[in-house]
Formats: sequence, C-alpha cells, structure tokens
Amino acid sequence: MNGQAAQGAWARWVGGTHVFYAVPLLALAIPLFANQYTQFVVNLMLVYVLVAVGFNLVLGNLGQLAFANTALFGIGAYTASMLMVHAGWPFWAVILPAGIVGAVAGFLASVTALRGIRNYYLAIVTLAFGELLRWIYIHGEAATGGTDGLAVPRADFFGIALDSETARFYVFLLIVTVIVKAVSNLLQSKIGRAIVAIRDNELATASLAIPTGRYIVLAFTLSGSIVGVAGSLFAVLIGHVAPESFGLIELILHFAMVLVGGLGSLFGSVLGAVALTALPEYFRRFPGLYEMFFGGLLIVFLLIQPRGLAALCAKWWPALRDRYFRDR
Amino acid sequence: MAALLELAGVSVRFAGLQALTDVNLAARGGEIKAVIGPNGAGKTTLFNAISGYVPIAAGAIALNGSAIHGLTPHEIAARGVRRTFQNGGLFAELTALENVLAGLHARIDASFAGILFGTRAARAAEREAVIRARGLLEVLGVSHLADRQVRAMSGGQQRTIEIVRAVAAEPPLLLLDEPAVGLAPPVCAQVIELIRRLAGEMGIAVLLIEHTIDLVMAAADVIAVFNGGTKIAEGPPAAIRTDPAVLEAYLGHG
Amino acid sequence: MYFLQLTLSGLAQGAIYALVALSMCVVYRATTVVNFGHGDLVMAGAFVVYLLVVLAGMPFLVSAILAVALLFVLGLLIEVGLIERIKSGPHIGFALMCIAFGYVLRGIARAVWGREVLPMPRVFDLSPVMFGDLVVTADALVIFFAVGVLLMLFFGLFYRTSAGRIMQAVCQSERGAALVGINVPTFHGVMWGVGAALGAVGGVLVAPLTLLHPALGASFLIKGFAAMTLGGFGSLAGAVVGGLLLGVAEQWVGFYVSTKLIDITAYVVIILVLALRPNGLFGRAVAERV
Repeated sequence: MNGQAAQGAWARWVGGTHVFYAVPLLALAIPLFANQYTQFVVNLMLVYVLVAVGFNLVLGNLGQLAFANTALFGIGAYTASMLMVHAGWPFWAVILPAGIVGAVAGFLASVTALRGIRNYYLAIVTLAFGELLRWIYIHGEAATGGTDGLAVPRADFFGIALDSETARFYVFLLIVTVIVKAVSNLLQSKIGRAIVAIRDNELATASLAIPTGRYIVLAFTLSGSIVGVAGSLFAVLIGHVAPESFGLIELILHFAMVLVGGLGSLFGSVLGAVALTALPEYFRRFPGLYEMFFGGLLIVFLLIQPRGLAALCAKWWPALRDRYFRDR
Repeated sequence: MAALLELAGVSVRFAGLQALTDVNLAARGGEIKAVIGPNGAGKTTLFNAISGYVPIAAGAIALNGSAIHGLTPHEIAARGVRRTFQNGGLFAELTALENVLAGLHARIDASFAGILFGTRAARAAEREAVIRARGLLEVLGVSHLADRQVRAMSGGQQRTIEIVRAVAAEPPLLLLDEPAVGLAPPVCAQVIELIRRLAGEMGIAVLLIEHTIDLVMAAADVIAVFNGGTKIAEGPPAAIRTDPAVLEAYLGHG
Repeated sequence: MYFLQLTLSGLAQGAIYALVALSMCVVYRATTVVNFGHGDLVMAGAFVVYLLVVLAGMPFLVSAILAVALLFVLGLLIEVGLIERIKSGPHIGFALMCIAFGYVLRGIARAVWGREVLPMPRVFDLSPVMFGDLVVTADALVIFFAVGVLLMLFFGLFYRTSAGRIMQAVCQSERGAALVGINVPTFHGVMWGVGAALGAVGGVLVAPLTLLHPALGASFLIKGFAAMTLGGFGSLAGAVVGGLLLGVAEQWVGFYVSTKLIDITAYVVIILVLALRPNGLFGRAVAERV
C-alpha cells in the first residue's frame, strides 16, 4: 500500500485501542435523544451486530458457505426462553447457557469437517442440520411451544428490571462490546490467522502443522456461541420466540448483512448490521418484498461492490484496514 | 550417521498410473540433495508422498526412525517437515509478514483463553513472533515487503516469501519444490546462499526439486535423478554429470 | 400387500426427486457450480404452469411445454447475466449469487400469490390402473412415463450423440474443450438452461400433486441434495438412483415409524451419508485428507 510510512504514526494512533472503545462510549449517549421506538431499533441493531459478527467468522474469515446461522440464532433464543419459562431462571443467568448451547450446535453442524468434509458438502450438512433444528422447535410441543412458540417472561439483569428499551440498551451494549472485543483479539491472533489461512489455501495451511479440520470446527463453534448469545438477547427484546423467526427466509438477511458489510471484516459486520437492521420493517406489509429486496441487494453488491461497505470505508481510511478490518 | 528421512521401496499409484516405483531415498541433516528429472518423472509426487498428501501403495517412509507414511499432512508437518509448493502455496490475501507468522504458528505460545481475553502473556507471545518474523524477512532482504499483500507481489518475491515461511520454524527436514523458478539471477544466488546456510549452519536436511541445472550443480551436495517414477542414479554432481544413464535420459535434453 | 403399494408411491415421488437431482447434477458437472437456487427454479416451473393453467386457462400440456421453455431461457439468462459476471471473484460469490436469485424468485412467487397455498385442479382425469392388488394412480403413471422417457432421452443424448460428447468433453476439461474450439461460455449458458428446464419438468409434474407455496423451492433443494449425496455427488446415475431411494425411504419411514418424520428423512440421509460414507453409492472421493 502506498504511503505506508507516512501512515505509520497516524495509523498507530488511530488503530489504537482508544478508537475501538470510542464507539461504545459515544454510543452511551444514544438514549439521550432517542425515543422508545428508535431505541428498540438500536437494540435490535446490537443483536444483529452479534449475528453478523458470528456469521462472518464462518462465511468471511473461514470462507465456508454455511446455512445454519438462523438455526443457531434460534437455539440460543429457545435455550434462553425455555430456561426462563420452564425453570424460572433470571435473564442474566441464561445468556451463558445460550452461548454454550449455540457452541455445541455449531460444533455438531461442522463436526463432519474432522473427517475431511469440506466446501459444498459441508455447506449442505449445515443446511440439513439447520432445518433439523427448526423441525425440533416445531415438533417440540411441550418444551418449545410448537408453532406458536413461547412468550418470554420479564427479564431482569441482576435485579434491575429490563422493562424499558433504555435499560435493555445498556445491558446489550455491554455484552456486545465485550464479545466484539474478544472476537477482535481472536482475529488478530494466530487463531484468526490460521482460520483465514485455511480459506486461502488449506493444503498449504496443513503443511505448517496446523490441524485444519479442528480449526474449521473451532470457527463454527465460536460462531455458534456468538450467535447463540445474540439469540438470548433477541428473545428478551422481542418477548416471544417462534420457529418462523429462525428459518430459511430470515437467512437472506444474515447473508446480506455479512456481504454488504464486508466478508471477513469485523468492522464490516458492524456496518452491515447497522445498515440493514431497520429495513425489514418496511417490507412486512408486502408479501415477497422482503425476499426480493434482500436477494436483489445481495446480487447488486456481488456485481458492483463484492468486498462490501467496509472496503469502501477502507479506501478513505486506510488505517482502519490494518487493525479492525481483517478482511484477510 | 543415520539418515533423518528414509524411504524404502516406496511406490505410489493414482488414476491408474504408477507414479513412483520402488523408490529408495534418504535425506541427512546438513546435506542438500537435489531431485532432478524430466517432467512427469514423479518428483513432486515424491514430495507429496513424503509430506503426506498422497498415500503410498507400498514401502515405508520413516522420519527419525518412526514411520510417517499414513499420517495426515499436518501430523507429518508437526514432526518437523516443511515444504514449498510447485504452484506457490502462499496465502494470497495475507501480507508477507502474516504468511511468515503462519509459519510460526506452532511456536507462538499463547493459550486460547489468553488470546480471547487479550492477556499480557498472549500479546507478548504475538509480539515476539512478529519480531522474529520481521527478522527472518530482513535476513533475506525482503523486509520491505513485510506489510504488502502477497497478491501484489511478483512471482519471484512470492517464492522467496514462501521459503522464509517454510524455514521460520527451523524444520529438521525441508522440501523445496522448484524454489528458483522465475527468479532473476541475483535473487537466485541469494536463495542458493540461504539454502546453503540452512543446511550448513542449521543442519537442516534439504531436498530440492529443480530444473535449472546450473543451480543444481552449484548448490547440491548429492543429486538424485528420476525418470518414469524410478530413481535411475544418485551421487555427487561430478559423478552425475558423466553418468551414462542420466545423460541419456535427461541431461542430454537439458 | 401394502408394502408394495407404499414402495410404488415412494418410487413415484422419488422419480420427481430423481429429476430434480439430475438437473442439479447436470449443472454441477457442466459448470462446477453447485446451484443453491435450483430448488427455486423448480418451484418457478411449477408456478408458471399454475399461472398458465389456472389464470390463463390453457391446457396442461401446452402450459407444461411453455413453462419448461421459459425456465430454459431463465436459466440461460441467469448464467450469462449473473454468474459469468462474477467469474473473477471469490468462489463463495457464486454460491451467494445462486442463493440470492433463488430468494428473488421466491419473493416474486410470494408477491404474486400472497400468503396462501394454492391447489391446482386435477389434471389427469384418468381412473387408476390396477396391477393385481396394486393401485397405480394416473399421476404416478404420468410421472413414471414422463421421467422414464426423459431419462432415456437424456442419457441417450449424453452418451451417444456429438452434442453429448461435447458435454462430456467440457465436463472433463474446460481448457481442452476450449482449445478444440468449443465455446465454453455459451456451453455454460446452455447447460444452465438445460438444468433449469429439466428441473422445471420436475416442477411441472409435481404441480398437480402438491399444494404449491413459495417455500417449495427450499424443499426441492434439500431433496435434490439428499438424492445427490446418497447417490454420490457428481454422479448422474447416482442422482437418479438416490432420488428414487429417497422417495421410497420417505414413504417407509412415514408409514412404519411416523408421518411427522417424512420431512426430516432427507436431512437425516444427508447427515448420515456424509458422516459415515461420504462417497455415497457411486461417487468419487469426497473427503479430503489434510
């Protein structure tokens, strides 16, 4: 890249930790001028930031096509709801189990990779697995509420009732910031490098004594845990979980967020989630418009800007590329 | 001195073809052995068999006395084998530095939890690895390429980076598949120098596939000549130069 | 014996799956792209037939032929207009493109038909035929006949004619084919058209039998994959055999275990086959040793 040396000092300052934390710190001010509805949308954006971050780990960084994301989202939501409804657990206690169950599901969806299953075959297994999970939600009657789903009881976070969108916002912001920071650490470490290396050339990666099958499963497991946590937040935000929210129709939104934001870019995941979360509301009234819009959006970006919005930003802000971009 | 790598009676078949037949070969620490032969002689197949990418139909491959045939590529690599690839095996989207860091993967002492929580120890391990990687690139005079994406480099530069990545973890056995292809003479000389140092100073056993005869004659201690999947001759450069079987099969056309 | 009756209806259903799987396999073999939007192309075939028969009042056979022709053109246009354009991007881009246009098709179908599920009026008003104790419905007869003829035509063309030899040549080596003067991009476009048309035949045949809804595409996709996986990914004959076996398996599971499980038979088949015997019945090496 040109002007690397000149960018050096500026890049080091901008790329430092302070910029990373500036975003959530600034975001703390949002409740000051947002009404309850806007706040709800912002909360939903936070949920989808996690969804996109988790999905991008597999789709973008690992470069593996996968169809289980909505199912993993659902399993987190159902785990949280069932624990709250059937076992009376408080909200703060169900977040971790949702993440763990999501991780287990991600592991199971990808475990055939340990036997050498890759690419299209692995993608198809995730498709089958995801649909199998949805079938379980529908037929799990007593436990999952069947097609009607479950109503999620009032949530509280260590005693603080999460009645208002504002209260939920602070809790969600905290959780999302912590997780995104952890993912950022991961992507810049040898683990993140190994995952991207597998995408670029799996055979060469193996020649460096990196057990590729295990790293593929690791990526899926981590993805599942992140998306599972997102599901628990979603359950509390919407107040209701039902199988129709976690099927193949919603998957196009997940694909769109990752691709529009930027495949493999952590910053891109955030961008994609923020950009697209508010849109589905506009399409609810017109059947078919949702699928047409997001499918069309995906096609347009694939033709014109396949590296996503993050790539556009990186053009104007090269410093961003090196630390938080991680499109490579 | 017992050989580091021993192939005994190794045969490889795929797609109905006999790619290698009854090959006996050894590699010793500190020795540079060149593997030469016409196209299709089975040289890259030999490397693929040693590094675990193709299964062998007969025979045995042993590293330090224990069998490695049948193990997966990453398991064999973990035992100290590194290689470069004929068509270039670099990670195109990563920078040269990141490629070399990938080569140091096993050496970076950071735990999963440490990485996730960004502990001081994990960050220190990464910093150390970066220093080491930059140092390696410096040694080969390509430190200016460190932060450039591999995609944006010339073929010659890529080959050099691939070698640095392969030697980063100081492997006892190094397989170089046509490392000098497309390199300008001065860079070529640098690569020869590097290989000699690896073998001489670090005692690495080097197996080298090359077509450039001059490089082979200059760099190799021993030359093994292959043709049609079998080894037809082996010996020091001077002897190979005059070996009648070799002259007939290969050098005459070189 | 009810078992035979069950197996027979399973074969009829399986014949449709075989067609869908074969059409997907054709596209895959010819262009190395796995079309994740293929199920929606099949669904589009079914819906076009519905439109023509119910809304335009045209006879079924004419509608069927028109639908297949339309889908051929659609498949060709998608390949030439969208898939070819992103040749230079990351491989995952192809898959995303296929997924995207699949959703667009689904959206169009949903927009035109709303939230309902649409029944088509009975097309084949023939009474069932009896073979001893076995009842063979008119629908099943038509399916067997149509699929049988189509398969014979297809395999005959593929292995016996020069057009077929071109197909085989390109499948084996695109560069080699280009060197001998075969126009590979055109070939890709045509093969997508063929795949879409074949799939559309499956859609057309199934349209009078099931309740049509836009999500049918996803169902066809999974059944197609299950059939291909079972038969061995990449094997044309395997896709057909896999489809038939899947159809039969679903009926057996539905009757002897539970009807609720019919839906997930395909999922279980995929997971079991890839976990235990990835090559399926006739496939080449699927698992990588790394």
